[in-house]
Amino acid sequence: MASNGSDSGAGTKSYTTQNGTWRITTRKLPILKATPIDQLSNDLGIPIPEMIFGDNLVSIIHLPTAWTLSFNARDALDRVSKTEEGMLQVAVAEEWKKDRKEAMVKDEVKSVVKPFDWSYSTDYRGSTDVGGNPILFFETVDLYEDELADNGIALLSIKIRVMPERLLLLSRFFLRLDGVVVRIRDTRVYIEHGSEKVIRQYTAKEESYAVLQEKLKGMRENAPEAFRDANVLAPLLRTEVDEVEVFEVG
Amino acid sequence: MSDLDKAIAQLRACRPIPENQVRELCYKARELLIEEGNVVSVDAPVTICGDIHGQFHDLMELFRVGGDVPDTNYLFMGDFVDRGFYSLESFLLLLCLKVRYPDRITLIRGNHESRQITTVYGFYDECLRKYGSANVWRYCCEVFDYLALGALVMGAATDLQPTDATFQDPNSQATALSEPDEIEIEILNSAGQIINRFPRNNYIGSQDLSQISNTPSSPSQSLEQTPSRNGAPGTGASSASRGSSNNTGSAVLCVHGGLSPLIDSIDKIRLLDRKQEVPHEGAMCDLLWSDPDEIDGWGLSPRGAGFLFGADIVKCFNHKNDLSLICRAHQLVMEGFKEMFDNSIVTVWSAPNYCYRCGNVAAILELGEDGSGAGYAPRTNGDVGRSQGGPLAERIEQRQGPGRRYRVFEAAPQDSRGMPAKKPVAEYFL
Repeated sequence: MASNGSDSGAGTKSYTTQNGTWRITTRKLPILKATPIDQLSNDLGIPIPEMIFGDNLVSIIHLPTAWTLSFNARDALDRVSKTEEGMLQVAVAEEWKKDRKEAMVKDEVKSVVKPFDWSYSTDYRGSTDVGGNPILFFETVDLYEDELADNGIALLSIKIRVMPERLLLLSRFFLRLDGVVVRIRDTRVYIEHGSEKVIRQYTAKEESYAVLQEKLKGMRENAPEAFRDANVLAPLLRTEVDEVEVFEVG
Repeated sequence: MSDLDKAIAQLRACRPIPENQVRELCYKARELLIEEGNVVSVDAPVTICGDIHGQFHDLMELFRVGGDVPDTNYLFMGDFVDRGFYSLESFLLLLCLKVRYPDRITLIRGNHESRQITTVYGFYDECLRKYGSANVWRYCCEVFDYLALGALVMGAATDLQPTDATFQDPNSQATALSEPDEIEIEILNSAGQIINRFPRNNYIGSQDLSQISNTPSSPSQSLEQTPSRNGAPGTGASSASRGSSNNTGSAVLCVHGGLSPLIDSIDKIRLLDRKQEVPHEGAMCDLLWSDPDEIDGWGLSPRGAGFLFGADIVKCFNHKNDLSLICRAHQLVMEGFKEMFDNSIVTVWSAPNYCYRCGNVAAILELGEDGSGAGYAPRTNGDVGRSQGGPLAERIEQRQGPGRRYRVFEAAPQDSRGMPAKKPVAEYFL
C-alpha cells in the first residue's frame, strides 16, 4: 500500500487515519472525452455540463464495516431535475424572446428542446452503500462545472481535510446566475475518528441577485469580486433547508 | 526595429506594453478593421484557430506547432480574452500581429469580445490590475466593436498536400502507405507526427474512435468506445461522398458560434451593422452565441436565450451558400476538435487544459491551397454512402469537404509558463 497521503497513481490519493478506522480516497483526472460524455448523457437523459470531471471521486470508508460515503459526478447529476418545473431563465431571456416572435411565428423554432434544469442545481449529499489541528491530508476535487453559456457559473466541488482526531468534508454546489439568483447547497460531513459516528449536515441557501447587490453595496464590498466568491456570499443568503443526519456505523 | 516590432517582441515575452502604446495600437487596428467587411474573405492556405481565453503560453505553443506569423496565415475565431491569466498580453499580441501583417492574420469576434462579458469573466479586472485604470480595457473594447463577424475561406484544396511527417505509431505506417485513396483528414500531434489519417470516400459509418484520441493522459481512453450517431469525437472521416456533380470552388465559412434563424445567406451577414456592443438578441448575437445540437431544425436553449440548430439547418445553409464546411469555436471539446452532421460543421477549440485544470487537448485546423485548380473536380465514385444520410441528405447534395489537417497540442509545459504564484488553495474551510 502506498504511504499515507501520497499519490497512488492515476490521480488517486489515499489516507488512512492513524487508528486504522477510516480511509479517505480522492481521485482527480481530466474532463471526460466525447464518447463517455455521450454515454453519460444517454444514461442520465440530460445534456452534460461543459466541464465534466466524470472520473473524479471522493470516498470515506469505515474500514471495519466497509460503510462508505462517496461523491461522484454521475450520481450528483442524477439529482438534477429533468423537467421544466422550477426552471430558471437567464437575465436577458425576456428581452431576447420579444425579438424572436417573428422567427417563432414562422414556426421555424420549436420551443425549448430538451427541458431540464440547465443550472445543474443538485441536492446531492453523497452516495452511501448503506479545529487547531494540523492537517494531515487535504484535497479539493471538482465534480462538474458549467459556465451557463457565460451567464454565471454552476460548480460542484468537494473539499476534504483530515486531522489527527477528526475529518471534515464539504461538498458545495454553487450557482450564480448573473442578474437572477445565487444558490449554495452545502453538504458537510464530520467524523470523530474514535466515535464510529458520521454526522452529515445539508444546508440549502438562496438569494436573489438584486438583494445580494444591495447587501454588498452596504458592506462596501467589491461586488464583481464578491459575486465570484461563494465564501463571501454564503452568509448573505437565506437558509431554506438545514438538516442534520447521524449515521451509526459501528 | 520599428516601434511595432519592439512591441511585438515585448508582448511575445509576455510583458504588457505601456498604456499610450496600447492607445496608439488600438487606434491603428480600428483604422484597419473598419475597412474589413462583416465577412472577411481569406485565401487558403490558412490555419484556423478556436478559443484562446487568455492562455498566453498556450498561444505561444500554438504558434510553435502551427508555425509563426507571418510564415503561416492564421484565422482566429474569437474569444481571445477572459478566463486565463494573460488576456491582455494574448489579445494585444494578436492585435500587433494584425497591424504588422494585416494580410497574414484575421481576427473575428467571439462572444467574449464584449464589454458586458469581460467585466464578469476577468479581462476587465486584469486590465485594472495591470494598469491601475480601466483605460486599456476601454481601448480594447472599442477594437472589439470593429472586429469582423465571420470569414469565408476560398480556394481550399480538397486533397491534402503530402508531408514528410512520420507516423506516431510506426506500425500504422505500412498500412497507411499502401492506401491509394486521396487523404481527406489527417491528424498530427504537436511533434508533427501523424496520429491518424482518413481517406476520402472511405467512410462506412462509425470509425474506431479510439484511434483518433491521442491523449495518453486521459482516463476515458480505456473506457469502452461505442459508435456515436454522428461519428464524432473529432471526426468520422468523410461522408462527403455524395457525388457532387459540379464541384466548383465551394468555400468554408468561419464564425464564432454558429447560424441564426434570421440569416439564410452569407449576404445577410454582410448587411448587419456590426460596430456596436454585442446585442442580447438578433442575428449578430446568434452568430456569436448559438450551438449545433442533435435536434431537427431550430431549438431554443433551455436557458431561455440562445439557439440550437440541427444537421438539416447546416446542410441547407451550406447547400444554399455553396459551402463545403462551417468552422466554428465556442464550445469546449476534449479532443480539440469535433466534426458533426456528416462533416458539414466542425468545432475547433484551441485552449488546452482549459482554465488550467480541464486536462483537454487543443487543436488547430489547416486548410491547404488548391494550387492545381482541380481541387473540386467531380468524382465518379461518389455514390458510396448516398443511402445512409437520411431523406434530407439524399435530397441535398453535399459539397466535397476541403482536405483537413488537424494539429493537436497540449498545454505548454508548466515551467515555461512563468505563471504568477497561484494562490494556494485554502486548506481550512468551514
